[in-house]
Amino acid sequence: MKNFQIIKALSPNSAVSSINKENSAMFIAGGTNLVDLMKKNIAAPDKLVDITSLDLKKIEFLSGKVSIGALAKNSQVAEDKAIKEKHPLLALALAAGASQQIRHMATVGGNMLQRTRCSYFYNTDMPCNKRVPKSGCGAIGGSNRMSAIFGASESCIAVHPSDMCVALAALDATVLVEGPKGKRQIKFTDFHRLPGNTPEKDNTLLDKELITSIEIPDNNFNKNVHYLKVRDRTSYAFALVSVTAALDIQNNTISSARLAMGGVAHKPWRLTEAEEFLKGKTVSETTFRQAANLAMKGAKSYGDNDFKLTLGPNAIVEALTIASSK
Amino acid sequence: MSKTSNINRVDGFAKVTGSATYSAEYKTDGVVYACLVGSTIAKGKIKSIDTKKAEWAPGVLAVITHLNVDKPSGYQKAKDKHNFGQPLQIFKDDSILYYDQPIALVIADTFERMQYAASLIKADYFKEEHSTELKKAADKEKKVETDKGNDYHRGEHDGYKNAEVVLETEYTIPTEVHNPMELANIIAKWEGNKPILYTKSQGVEGTRRSVAGVFDVPAEDVEVHAEYVGGAFGMGLHTWPYEIAALIGAKKLNRPVKLVLHREQMFTNVGFRPYTIQKMGLGATKDGKLTGLTHEAVAMTSSYEDFMEGTVNMSRFIYDCANVSTRYRIVPLDTCTPIWMRGPGEATGSFALECAMDEMAYKLDLDPIEFRKRNYAEKDLEQNKPWSSKYLLECYEGGMERIGWKNRKNKPGSVREGEWLVGYGMGTGTFGCYRSPTSVKAKFSADGNLILQCSVNDMGPGTATMMTAIGAEIMGMPVENVIIEMGKSGLPKGPTQGGSATTSSVGSAVHDSCNLLVSKILGLANETPTFKGIPIADLTFANGLISSKNNSKTVSLASLLASNKLEDFAVEKQSKGNEEARKYSIYSFSVHFVKVLVNPNIGKIRLAHVVSCADIGTVISQKTSAGQMFGGAVGGIGMGLMEALEIDHRFGRPINNNFADYHVPVNADIEKQEVFFVNKKDPISNPMGTKGLGETALVGMAPAIANAVFNATGKRVRDLPITLDKIIETAKV
Amino acid sequence: MASKKTNQSKETEENSSSRRDFIKKSGLLTALAFTPPSLVMASENKWDEKIAEYLETVPLSIEVNGKKHNLNIEPRTTLLDLLREQLHLTGTKKGCDHGQCGACTVHVNGTRILSCLTLATMQQNAQVTTIEGLSKGKKLHPMQEAFIKHDGFQCGYCTPGQIMSGIACIKEGHANSREEIREYMSGNICRCGAYHNIVDAITEVKEGGMLS
Repeated sequence: MKNFQIIKALSPNSAVSSINKENSAMFIAGGTNLVDLMKKNIAAPDKLVDITSLDLKKIEFLSGKVSIGALAKNSQVAEDKAIKEKHPLLALALAAGASQQIRHMATVGGNMLQRTRCSYFYNTDMPCNKRVPKSGCGAIGGSNRMSAIFGASESCIAVHPSDMCVALAALDATVLVEGPKGKRQIKFTDFHRLPGNTPEKDNTLLDKELITSIEIPDNNFNKNVHYLKVRDRTSYAFALVSVTAALDIQNNTISSARLAMGGVAHKPWRLTEAEEFLKGKTVSETTFRQAANLAMKGAKSYGDNDFKLTLGPNAIVEALTIASSK
Repeated sequence: MSKTSNINRVDGFAKVTGSATYSAEYKTDGVVYACLVGSTIAKGKIKSIDTKKAEWAPGVLAVITHLNVDKPSGYQKAKDKHNFGQPLQIFKDDSILYYDQPIALVIADTFERMQYAASLIKADYFKEEHSTELKKAADKEKKVETDKGNDYHRGEHDGYKNAEVVLETEYTIPTEVHNPMELANIIAKWEGNKPILYTKSQGVEGTRRSVAGVFDVPAEDVEVHAEYVGGAFGMGLHTWPYEIAALIGAKKLNRPVKLVLHREQMFTNVGFRPYTIQKMGLGATKDGKLTGLTHEAVAMTSSYEDFMEGTVNMSRFIYDCANVSTRYRIVPLDTCTPIWMRGPGEATGSFALECAMDEMAYKLDLDPIEFRKRNYAEKDLEQNKPWSSKYLLECYEGGMERIGWKNRKNKPGSVREGEWLVGYGMGTGTFGCYRSPTSVKAKFSADGNLILQCSVNDMGPGTATMMTAIGAEIMGMPVENVIIEMGKSGLPKGPTQGGSATTSSVGSAVHDSCNLLVSKILGLANETPTFKGIPIADLTFANGLISSKNNSKTVSLASLLASNKLEDFAVEKQSKGNEEARKYSIYSFSVHFVKVLVNPNIGKIRLAHVVSCADIGTVISQKTSAGQMFGGAVGGIGMGLMEALEIDHRFGRPINNNFADYHVPVNADIEKQEVFFVNKKDPISNPMGTKGLGETALVGMAPAIANAVFNATGKRVRDLPITLDKIIETAKV
Repeated sequence: MASKKTNQSKETEENSSSRRDFIKKSGLLTALAFTPPSLVMASENKWDEKIAEYLETVPLSIEVNGKKHNLNIEPRTTLLDLLREQLHLTGTKKGCDHGQCGACTVHVNGTRILSCLTLATMQQNAQVTTIEGLSKGKKLHPMQEAFIKHDGFQCGYCTPGQIMSGIACIKEGHANSREEIREYMSGNICRCGAYHNIVDAITEVKEGGMLS
């Protein structure tokens, strides 16, 4: 790791202005991904702005929504009683990620900004357009068991590794950011982007912008929800495919549904068409299977990840079944 | 059960307090930090290597490459390549034989500066076409030119083909990597011409010999410390290039050098269980008698060493079968040389054999255990010798009862628990019982402690605890008063820790030296006025007291020593196997039973219950043996369900060489585990009647899982690991 | 002879230019306004390194196992390397250095974290507890006792991390069943495979109410 300067920011505004002075400066909070990337020289900032002292750790229930500070720890949110009660889907997704030690360190903002786990991104001897633009995509034609089946491009078939983000995408969250040009809000589903021919950009955050909080509007998804994470071992592994399923069931009829997948795209993959289909339907395996088939429209695999075309819909049915039977 | 059989691990205090000192943790004055920079290609030559930036980086003390290295004098004496045990000679020349082969050693004054400087080294290469894929290199297949590499035939060659019922199948195991939690690490220094190593080694004496060879110094001049080894599972059986590199660096700077491999380098530079393709041919009569068995294996090795292991050996003796053929071939590939990994050979071989046995049982519509019983070998037909002891049937019975085998139905997919498909499976394991000459010094000190010394080390199986238990038992003294000194050179010579031979070798030496010590003490006592005239046979020694029959006369050892003006009393004895043992075939046996729950929709396999049974002769230490058996089973679960080093053959580079992508079992993978030992003394193996455990603890687990998955789902997975994509069910809707 | 000298001075020049680059990056040049000749001299005497060492370190005040340390460290120093290489507290282990194994687990202000992914400089005034801080002389912590009793280890290398994690697992309230323990201990890999016994040890400590 190259050496760097580090300064402590005392307000979001000073954080933004101190990062603004240097090109290769970066914010650091939990560090669980950034320090790892710095050790591998994938990230090599000259300066770090330590934002951990900022007052952005609170979970506040406001009228019609909950606001979660960008510096709230993953474990703090996962184990917050009110979050568990009102947004159990978020708590479940968070608890499925990484290990408890990492959840104690990692922040909500950092979780959103974590880079892909694609092996070609991490192995600096390999080609990767995300790491080194124009160097090629190693995963296409290579080892791509983890890779995307939706929204990929010829430049990149990497997936976003977060569990939390899949839940936030399903819950219609909003991201609040502050930057050199002031504050703005981004719809969570617009926060992460598809790779296109610029896979080096993971999200729509503008240069030097800082995530300050996320907001989740109130909803009725506090009972029939499930986060299903399918992976190569029982815990402490990234998802091959994950599914968040949230159902609002009245008299065995689905009055509304939320469905999103992780491990399948460059961003959390919201399944709006399937959600629409489920609306008004009675709970049944056939309904769920039909929704799953709708959800898989346009899916494309790359060899090693062909199984995701089967696993994906099966996982959707499984998650919906478990959610509906709670 | 003896009084000492359930003692706690004697190095437990050190290990739970963090005071156990592993190799790179020795506080060493003036120590500097080193790391290795690896090649980015799999085959070719170094065209140029730019080390200037690294040399100029702050704190850098040396950058060593093939261009500026003072080559160890032993390099020239090395024999022709391709013999196993002629490892890569680091920095010898510009040739690149595998990806991540070390091309530079960077040494700096701090860890951080060393790491940064290493990142500044860049090399250019003349690339050559590499070959890393076993399946595409069959044309390079060859026999290993040693006796062990010969084909084996008993009865008719490939006699299985003429049987009433014939099975022909092919099995694959991928490359698996030992990955002990402790990284490969060393502190190297020199005192004049004498190398001193604090290193991760499974054999102090072996490391001394290897280092002596490389630097052309007498082995007795090489000082090796490996008091604590944080697991190794076989990777510590070699002296690796990184150890030589550290010694080269330490010599150049005349300072102690600390070198710790990165986890990534643990996948590329310190061996692995080789990718192996196996073909099985089984022939049986309709009523379940095996008439022919052919086992062929093709395994990878490196381009510079011919590595082999006993993959096909188990098939020659474990079942009663008249016509047996085995063939073993290797294929050199552009990788680091493999090295024995826990259950070497047999773990790989048993996967093919025990899956094939299960498949044949299905063909015959027999219970898999019933099929094995019908082919139970009453003697070792390979060596044509009787077993020294064999309690395999007891293992079958013990496991069947504990796992609930009676709930198993032969028809796949016919047992359910809620949403889960239930499957039961088992696999047999075995491993030879070896014993090598070992010296132990047993010393009674005036303060009443027994000190046992041997250069053998304890990488986790509980060697020190075993030595303590045997010593305390013979000397009739509390385990607290036994002090073990081990894991370093200069002590009486012990064996390399491997091949499940440690207890048999070292335990026997403790046994013999302690008995000798007792008889010497009694002899000395017999000279004193108190016991004069009493036959030695009527004297006993326990709890520090020499007593005559009926305890009519008693003298403490302390006073005996004092009256003889002795500060301590010691004997050193070498112990080794006898001729009688050669008349027998001595093996440990294990059987793993598993109950799996499978959700075929998402391919989830849960190991709901695992029962591991073993006939290992006498169990010296219940706790540490059980721990080893639990651990071997977990290793086998990794092999069965998740472990595989993936190579991108376009580049010849591994793509999952880290702990996030190369999956090993975590706590949540292990639901319910039980261990059962027959615990019956072997009359031949050694004075204690033990047969060895560490290797057989893993052998047979992977096929047990594969067989259970078939029983649950009807899906026969013949290529490990059994990942979810191999069993997932396509939707019926 | 002459040509050799030329080569040598050329090398010195290259050398100094590189060192100058380094110094520039470290902000030294503006601070001290070196002229080129003095730079060469500085280079030969490695003053630049000494000054750089001073300029590139930051003060850190940290409490480890109840003992206060006032140190100067490079910002890139991780808590793990600080503990092991500078404070010689080698009980905390390096198993992967990338947050993938849990061997480096320590408690910071009472919370279990991975020291390998923690920059030490960000732990200003933190209270760190490592495995060395659990026992009081020969008197072991109940979790240490339980690990010995249940043989929750073999090689011992992951053990400090397991024990630190196990204590936290109970204190967090995640040790209410064997299943929950297994899940919340999954961030600590044990390659010897002592999981069964580790769960036994944690269960006993939890059920015995030995940790409040």
